[in-house]
Amino acid sequence: MSDSLALFRFELAAARRGKAVPLFAVGFALASVAVALVGLSAGGVVVVQGFARTSVSLLQLVVWVVPMLALLTGAVVGSECHELELVAALPVSRRAVVAARWLAWSVTLGAALLVGLGAAGVVIARLSGGANGWRYLRLIGVAELVLVATLALGMWIGVAARTRLRAVGVSVGVWFVLVIGVDLLAIGALAILPPGRAGGWLSMLLMADPVDSARALGLSLFQTDVVAGPMGAALRQVLGGAGAWALAGALVAWTLVPLAIAGRRFARSDL
Amino acid sequence: MIRLEELHKSYGGRMALAPLSLDVAAGEVVAVVGPNGAGKSTTLRALAGIIRPSGGQAWIAGHDIVMQASAARRHLGYLSQRPGVPLSTVVADLLALVAGVRGVLWNEAVEAVTAAGLEDRLGSTLNELSGGQRQRVMLAIATLGPITALLLDEPSISLDTEGSEEVRLTIRRARERGAAVLFASHHLHDVAALADRILVMTLGRVIAQGTLPELAVAAGVPWSGADAADPPIERIYRALLSRGPAASERRLNLVRGDAA
Repeated sequence: MSDSLALFRFELAAARRGKAVPLFAVGFALASVAVALVGLSAGGVVVVQGFARTSVSLLQLVVWVVPMLALLTGAVVGSECHELELVAALPVSRRAVVAARWLAWSVTLGAALLVGLGAAGVVIARLSGGANGWRYLRLIGVAELVLVATLALGMWIGVAARTRLRAVGVSVGVWFVLVIGVDLLAIGALAILPPGRAGGWLSMLLMADPVDSARALGLSLFQTDVVAGPMGAALRQVLGGAGAWALAGALVAWTLVPLAIAGRRFARSDL
Repeated sequence: MIRLEELHKSYGGRMALAPLSLDVAAGEVVAVVGPNGAGKSTTLRALAGIIRPSGGQAWIAGHDIVMQASAARRHLGYLSQRPGVPLSTVVADLLALVAGVRGVLWNEAVEAVTAAGLEDRLGSTLNELSGGQRQRVMLAIATLGPITALLLDEPSISLDTEGSEEVRLTIRRARERGAAVLFASHHLHDVAALADRILVMTLGRVIAQGTLPELAVAAGVPWSGADAADPPIERIYRALLSRGPAASERRLNLVRGDAA
């Protein structure tokens, strides 16, 4: 236990020194406030939107930007595992090294996300009141879930790719597939499959994509019928109320499985 | 303390390390010499768990390096040619990690860096250190705690005369503490000054091993007691390498006494 703790502290110290982390927090704070301010009234007067509409608007931003940042970060820190000769020669398992790296970066990026969205939340609450603040809190929860899942996926890519350049290239490709490719696939499936069978296929497709899982989970938690992407809109109907647990479970699985594969792969690698 | 039995490593069809058997006893210093690509680093990296052996077995302090990897590495200090962590790593963070997993108190860990004359660089990243400073930090970290086996891959690399003397002192101290030391080096005078036994490797194979006088006999280089003060190690080394692996195999047997 003390070995794992020492390893986690080491990785956390390295992650906290990451130059991109403060930018991540500031970027999310500015983007969140901007989204809240963008609502124009019919008369053209700028007003601050409350949490209800801002949360839905921000969900789209979250499911696009957070996976991109997490995949890229995961790819880089995953590929860096192969530089850790000194750590590999210590009495700690390779799987523990991967887990500690993932946890440290989850904590660091998660805190940056919390600070960014939290700061924006304070601004929105002061300007437009705290009504529907629970939706915003749920948005933060969904953002954290998709962050840790795509970070784990990025680490798997990084460990498998071995070099930083290849890992980054693959992770950008994976991001396109998750954010756009699966939606296109869903649209195609809806067009081809008979209406009675489309629901089951869509549910499976949803679970097979952490980004769409997060999107549908957000919609489900917000209890709103606002359209947020073709996949999310369709699945909002398919999944119903109980689907939120299944979606959250899918995101947890999307975290644990890639992490386990990355750990296993790194344990069997020559450095 | 360090024991290898037919340990070997290949990459695809290329044999990086032919089956190697070796014992390094407690308090013994064994040096590995040879040209680049000889298999010196491969041997040390396999023992340290950096690469997985293709076959054979090895033990550190009685623990199998594959089956009981963590237990084996708990007794192991390892210095690689590369830093082994990102250069953005802060010295104090690295020290805290190694102290934490080896159960060393923080004050003792800082003392080790202080002894290397680098106590004012605890807050620096490895990138901010000169090559020599970085190597001294890594050496202090490799020898931190109650290690019983020490693997050093080119420990004098990037070091000036003073730094090289520090390396020699570190190896002697490790030997006095009863550690088994296996080190690879291109600095033949360090090897002559420190090693109880020497392995000469080329193309992944050991072509000769033994004490310096034994190697001199195998190489056909005259040796007298007076040579101990300033041994002709370079002549011995070149003579062994120039005779090729097949001839060296016979000398290996001679050194071992099998064919005497």
